[in-house]
Amino acid sequence: MQIRRAKKEDLGSVADLIVRTKKLNNEFDPLFAVVSDAKARAEKHVTASIDAPDKLLLVAVEGQKVVGVIRAEMHTRLFYEPHQEGLITDFYILPEYRRKALGNDMVQQASGELKKMGAQIIVADVPAQNEIANRFYAKRGFRALTNLLGKSP
Amino acid sequence: MLEHKDDSSKKALDYSKFYGGKVTVAPNVPVRSLDDFSIWYTPGVAAVSKIIESDPELSFEYTGRWNTVAVVTDGSRVLGLGNIGPEGALPVMEGKALIYNYLGGVNAIPLPIRVKDEEGIIEFVKALEPSIGGVNLEDIESPKCFNVLERLRSEMKIPVWHDDQQGTAGVTLAALFNALELTGRKLRGARIVLFGAGAANIAAERLLVKAGADPRDLIVLDSKGILHPEREDMDKLLLRNKWKHDIAMRTNGDRISGGLKDALKGADALVAAAGQGPDMIRKDEIAVMNKRAIAFFLANPVPEMLPPAAHAAGAEIIATGRSDYPNQVNNSLLFPAIFRGALDVRARTITDTMVIEAAKQLSAFAREKGINKNYIIPTMLQWEVYPRVAATVGQAAVKEGVARKKLSKKESLRVAMEMIEHSRKVMNALRRNGIILDPPE
Repeated sequence: MQIRRAKKEDLGSVADLIVRTKKLNNEFDPLFAVVSDAKARAEKHVTASIDAPDKLLLVAVEGQKVVGVIRAEMHTRLFYEPHQEGLITDFYILPEYRRKALGNDMVQQASGELKKMGAQIIVADVPAQNEIANRFYAKRGFRALTNLLGKSP
Repeated sequence: MLEHKDDSSKKALDYSKFYGGKVTVAPNVPVRSLDDFSIWYTPGVAAVSKIIESDPELSFEYTGRWNTVAVVTDGSRVLGLGNIGPEGALPVMEGKALIYNYLGGVNAIPLPIRVKDEEGIIEFVKALEPSIGGVNLEDIESPKCFNVLERLRSEMKIPVWHDDQQGTAGVTLAALFNALELTGRKLRGARIVLFGAGAANIAAERLLVKAGADPRDLIVLDSKGILHPEREDMDKLLLRNKWKHDIAMRTNGDRISGGLKDALKGADALVAAAGQGPDMIRKDEIAVMNKRAIAFFLANPVPEMLPPAAHAAGAEIIATGRSDYPNQVNNSLLFPAIFRGALDVRARTITDTMVIEAAKQLSAFAREKGINKNYIIPTMLQWEVYPRVAATVGQAAVKEGVARKKLSKKESLRVAMEMIEHSRKVMNALRRNGIILDPPE
């Protein structure tokens, strides 16, 4: 298993995995209903990430097969220190490749890359109800920094 | 066939009204005079209560607890009728209790209950524990039934059984053992397709693997197709039906995707527990199976495919859930004997090994009688199979270390024979003496 920066030929599979993440989020909360053209949007989203200097797109591959993805981007915190944060926006591993420490390795590698890009803290954006993701990050020392509250108008 | 069904439906309605209940509570001790009540009830009974208070396990010796099973349902998935509620389920649970009594000598109490959710079932059944020796869960919808069974098995010290899971899977296993034998196959290495991922086949997959099947040679399908680790809905299954999720992860070594025909290509056996037929499975799907194919269609009352059609498509050994075709895969072959054996040794649980041993005994019995493509499993008429299976279950419980009372094989067989014969004698005596009347013409 190799963890590396995504290449152009990976983008179709990467988009599929990003859509799976969004669908998983929807299982926890109806306010994350996934749009019908999610795949096309995901392709755009990851294509724009691949060469951008402030974005990170890592994949885990077994042979030619993309089995995991992690996407992150740099943000500046206007009022707070430390200023530079590396924000993990998307993270997904195919079911068969879970529970094999791959998730841990991917977050570690992403954190290292983000640090090189200037990140002083690493944060991850996950739905409050996604208990699997929350548990995963909590086990690795992450704690809740903000709560984004929402409701239908 | 339809006439047959209409006839039994009409009789069921008429007779049920005539008798007003299929089972009853009857005395088990003599009442020689009213003085006896000072023994069976107060003041004498207080001594029995006190001794049990000092050691609650003695309730298995001094009361009928040891031979009592609660047949519990929430009525959420009754027969092929769906969610018909607890009152609607009562006639079915009464029928089950009657079979327990007649074929297994077990005192079974029908208990359909009105509860909100699975926690309600769990709470109720746990509260019953002091009064009973075992629990038969029945007709509870999937996946609720998996959670309920798993929780109760781990949290109670008496056997908890869900007949739609372990019962159907156990009898299927017994029939499959002999079908494989007849077609010159071993379980290890056989490619088996389980069509339908409800209670029966989820349990069948587990038992098959524990009995020696290679999980990579099993393919399981639900209504969306073949289960495999990259299916779109895997995350949903992880959250909503972890049993199906785990099956997707460990079976289907070749990672085949698609539908039933894709699964059946090169398969040796099919176990369909998928829903009402007769056209749920097509001939061209059966035709792609290996030569000497085995096909079980377990839906009742209408199998997923009728045996003549399956035979025409190339299936050699065919079983259904019905009595009007050969090879009836019928839970009633197993559950009375399973509980007879478990209760006789005061088992704390019914392990998968006990079920597999029971299945092996069922198939061994048929082999002794001489198996052929129309006889791979005993029939309910061969009542001598029940004590044999019961004794096997009792011995398996002793070996597994879950028996409170360690009977020898000979003792297990003797007790089971006596208990089952006793029930038959009681029935005969009650009929002979006009206490149970024959139904009106």
